[in-house]
Amino acid sequence: MTRLRMPHILVLLALARPGVAVPAPAPKDAKVKAPVAPVHQGPLPAGAKAAWTHAPFAAGDCSICHERNDPKNPGQLVKQGNELCFMCHDEFQAILARKHPHSPAKAYCLSCHNAHDSRQTKLLHAEATELCLGCHASVKKTAERSAVKHKALTQGKKCLACHNPHASSVEKLLTQLPFDLCVSCHSADGMKDASGKTLTNFGKWLADNKEWHAPVTAKDCSACHLPHGSAHFRLLVADYPPEFYAAYDEKNYELCFTCHNPEVARNAETTTLTGFRDGPRNLHFVHVNKAERGRTCRACHEVHASKQVHQIRDGVPYGSNGWMLKVGYTKTPNGGSCARTCHDTKSYDRKPEIPAAASTAKK
Amino acid sequence: MLAARTLLLLSLASPGSAEAFANVDVGGRVDSVDLPTLDGGVEPLLSAKARANVFIFFRPNQEHSTETLRAMAACEREFGGKPIHWIAIVSSIWDPQEVRKVVSETGIRMPVVVDQADRLYGRLGLRLHPVVGVTDGSFHLLAYEPFMKVNYCDRIRARIQFALQEITADEVRKVEAPEKATMPGEIEGAPLKRRQHLAEMLLKSRQYEKAAAEATAMLAKDPRHAAALVLLGDARAGQGDCADALKSYDAALAIDPAQPGAEAGRRACGGGK
Repeated sequence: MTRLRMPHILVLLALARPGVAVPAPAPKDAKVKAPVAPVHQGPLPAGAKAAWTHAPFAAGDCSICHERNDPKNPGQLVKQGNELCFMCHDEFQAILARKHPHSPAKAYCLSCHNAHDSRQTKLLHAEATELCLGCHASVKKTAERSAVKHKALTQGKKCLACHNPHASSVEKLLTQLPFDLCVSCHSADGMKDASGKTLTNFGKWLADNKEWHAPVTAKDCSACHLPHGSAHFRLLVADYPPEFYAAYDEKNYELCFTCHNPEVARNAETTTLTGFRDGPRNLHFVHVNKAERGRTCRACHEVHASKQVHQIRDGVPYGSNGWMLKVGYTKTPNGGSCARTCHDTKSYDRKPEIPAAASTAKK
Repeated sequence: MLAARTLLLLSLASPGSAEAFANVDVGGRVDSVDLPTLDGGVEPLLSAKARANVFIFFRPNQEHSTETLRAMAACEREFGGKPIHWIAIVSSIWDPQEVRKVVSETGIRMPVVVDQADRLYGRLGLRLHPVVGVTDGSFHLLAYEPFMKVNYCDRIRARIQFALQEITADEVRKVEAPEKATMPGEIEGAPLKRRQHLAEMLLKSRQYEKAAAEATAMLAKDPRHAAALVLLGDARAGQGDCADALKSYDAALAIDPAQPGAEAGRRACGGGK
């Protein structure tokens, strides 16, 4: 016979009698803390006002879950653990079979829910966000202490706007891929961030600009943005120069270099690191790597989407009055040109061309 | 056959020009080259003996590369024994000691080759790290996968499985566009199903009036719910009201002649066939 270990015995004892606290399961993720206090599973004290009552408990049908229909002495549960809940809530068997289940949900519905009644909706032990942040302390810290905050965490459905607390086919219990979630809100005109700045209508912007940055195409906004809060403007994961000019310092471009190769701005000459070169003369280096007034990435690139290839902008706001400085880029088979705005019209040609890597040429 | 698979792959590529190497499209052919390994040997970029070639461009001291190599180490173990040629590629600008450190930390077993003066990087037209490329046995590029924070591993695993012909293009698409994780209340029919289960349990415990109330509540939501009609019939029969029970069973059978329990209920109430 299998020997019961102490936590199991505690759980069974608690389930057998209402009013007893159940220890929550230990989280698998080291970053997640188990609740400090055990979870109370019994009914609310007499006279307390419940916001939500489990139908069998409200109807006095103790025997749906317990041995007897006697509220003072209901006896043992008729099934153990989540199997008891699945007798009625059988849709959860399919939900919890999704690729990424929430381990407390999979282990034990009562980690978050009270089987009798609650002051909260959905029989939760506490308000949903409070409950999430009770374990996810690092998210709580980020949300509270970050210089740049995301309003989604404090408005509307909060955590549940993006996460499914039971299970998902997407990692991090996201209900959809990040892009689908972000764009579902950020597709409105006049939307403002937590500091009052007007935000882009991304639905419209992406529909009008068909050349998408790879993380946008891959629906991975979280490659560049931290949805719970950030030290950097626009919830960026790292530094990104906010102005047109900046003295070259690799740290300023930390965001871009989380993926892009910093060698592209270190070498005055290359035939391998970039297509933006005139022969071996590296034009990224020419533009960016200057002790003063280096052109930042945003001077030429629109990070989300553009009409031109390589996310090259049509124009960039310049100066305090927001004058739109045209970039005037034209792509050619082996290079390109920029029409006069920043400088006189200049063209570049990659010759000598790099030997082809593929027998099927890039279209 | 090959053309059909290439077309399928091209159809898998998402819109936008970013989903490929600058110099090789998905569906295009990658030329193999021999590359020096970190330990002084030589290894080909691609192998014709393999049914899938997986190559990973990475750099040390980069969080995304480390995460990717860890994920690939897990993939290597998972696909162990299958005809896959794995290779990790690092630029010659890096100190071999730094490279060895990240290789050891992440646990990859595949050969690590050195891209002298970034020649291969330039030929393919890479602009970032990490990137995972997958080709089939005839070196046609099936996938170009730059780093993703979410579902990266699932995507790469699916592409490898596709190369091995273990899954179909439709299954790859499902991985790339996972279904929305609906909440229980959003699942069609779930609240009614819950009431149905409760009514069944109430019947078991002979609480017929309560079972009838649950069945009636179900019918208020969906008057043509055949299972609810059977439950109502069973509750009425339990209360000794076979006349009403027969009406419910007959209504259930009119909606669905094969509705489980309806015929048995009729017979128990003396309704016959």
